[in-house]
Amino acid sequence: MTKISDELQKVPYEPLLPAEKKLIVWSLVLGTLLMGLLIWVSYRFFPGL
Amino acid sequence: MKKWVGTEDLCALWVGLFFFTASLGAIAGIDLLGWAASTQVWIDVRRAIKPVSPAYSEVPAVAALALTYLLSLAAMTAGAVALGMNLKKFALGFSLIFWSSYFCWFLGNCAYIAATPDKLGAFRISWSLRLTGEAGFILALLAGLVLGNFFPRAVSFLQEATRPEWYIKTAIVILGASLGVQAAGAKGLATAILFRGLAAIVEAYLIYWALVYLVARKFFKFSREWAAPLASGISICGVSAAIATGAAIRARPVVPVMVSSLVVIFAVFELILLPFAAQAFLHQEPMVAGAWMGLAVKTDGAAVASGAITDALIRSRALAASGVQYKEGWILMTATTVKVFIDVFIGVWAFILALVWVYAIEKRRHDTVSAGEIWRRFPKFVIGYFLTFLALLLLIIADPGALDAAKLAAAESGIFRVLFFVMTFFTIGLTSNFRKLWEEGIGRLALVYVVCLFGFIIWIGLAISWLFFHGIKPPAV
Repeated sequence: MTKISDELQKVPYEPLLPAEKKLIVWSLVLGTLLMGLLIWVSYRFFPGL
Repeated sequence: MKKWVGTEDLCALWVGLFFFTASLGAIAGIDLLGWAASTQVWIDVRRAIKPVSPAYSEVPAVAALALTYLLSLAAMTAGAVALGMNLKKFALGFSLIFWSSYFCWFLGNCAYIAATPDKLGAFRISWSLRLTGEAGFILALLAGLVLGNFFPRAVSFLQEATRPEWYIKTAIVILGASLGVQAAGAKGLATAILFRGLAAIVEAYLIYWALVYLVARKFFKFSREWAAPLASGISICGVSAAIATGAAIRARPVVPVMVSSLVVIFAVFELILLPFAAQAFLHQEPMVAGAWMGLAVKTDGAAVASGAITDALIRSRALAASGVQYKEGWILMTATTVKVFIDVFIGVWAFILALVWVYAIEKRRHDTVSAGEIWRRFPKFVIGYFLTFLALLLLIIADPGALDAAKLAAAESGIFRVLFFVMTFFTIGLTSNFRKLWEEGIGRLALVYVVCLFGFIIWIGLAISWLFFHGIKPPAV
């Protein structure tokens, strides 16, 4: 069976591509913006009482 | 035929629906499962087990237990046939797992371990560990861990039936029914949990995944092939997410397999630690605790299992600390709802990642990504969970007079649900071989896991749970 340590040692360094940076940034920005909206909708329409 | 039953996921759906459908007899006036063995908190062994329905009170405890075992064995063996397993090995393994797990459950219900403070007088004892009957889950996990780490031959013998994901998915399908009965009494609260659970996991996906991916790539210098499954495994939903992501970005099979091994091991730590942390610090915010278990604990088995323990621990603590007796199951419902929504979105996330990888990162001109992938990766047992939930909810709304019969039906199928829960704990322990992973040189992967999990995933999960669930309380008894 392949050892994890052996597998990881073979991994070459790959710098972050612009597409990956966009994926990370967009994901975080969308997450932050949606948080405000979803919290408002939750407390306005689904009070849980 | 294989299309309908050929995976553990589909087998869980059908087996769960079988127990649910059989339990509906109680509503139709034909009590089919009333003999199922219910285990009570006990001080006198002779009174520990009795049939769940008063209609079968004459059935001896031993017969009730034997019948419960035989029906469980028959249903799961039918599933094993559909999955093409070695039936002899499965039946033997299942039987040993069933009885070992049940013994732990029985022991965990001993009054000295389980009795809550309000029940000490009834049992005529002066002290108890106050862990409630759910202590049986912890005992099953510990027993499984001992076997898994010190008795490799036993693990190998039980391998065919060591299927925690199958057991927990079956239990979740059955669980929908009892949650539907509860929701009928508090529709506004149930709707809020559903919406807020959905909102919480949208947040978790967007924030968790991006952060873990960034840490793995930028600070630990993992390649994309390792970082993406690792981010999904750590941040979203453990094994299923790691495998789906691995397939979506076309990683070699070794990558998600290795990540999954790590996920299972760390889920055990979370399962042991987080419910007690929730009991200590979140007993005044029970629903936050439930959502936290669903968001922070990876793998279906460990997450729902930790929801069950948290439910029991927090209700016990709230009763002791403030005299409030919350209804059972709402904390578990919150954890389960969050977890199944996470499962639902794994397919969507894998689809998005496949698009990004094909069109933006690897720029494979001749490849296309089909939206059918979302359905292919959709966890079908989730359909069963919502089906049983809605069936009983709508039935009670349509005929409020059926409430008591519906409660009995949910209690009857619930006997089997609890047994599948306990077997999940036991088999999670069996599959968690710490020594083997250590020998494989897991250090760097484990370090990313520890940094991400304890550095921010648990805390962001707690913050998101708090934002969406604080101030919401389960109904009191």
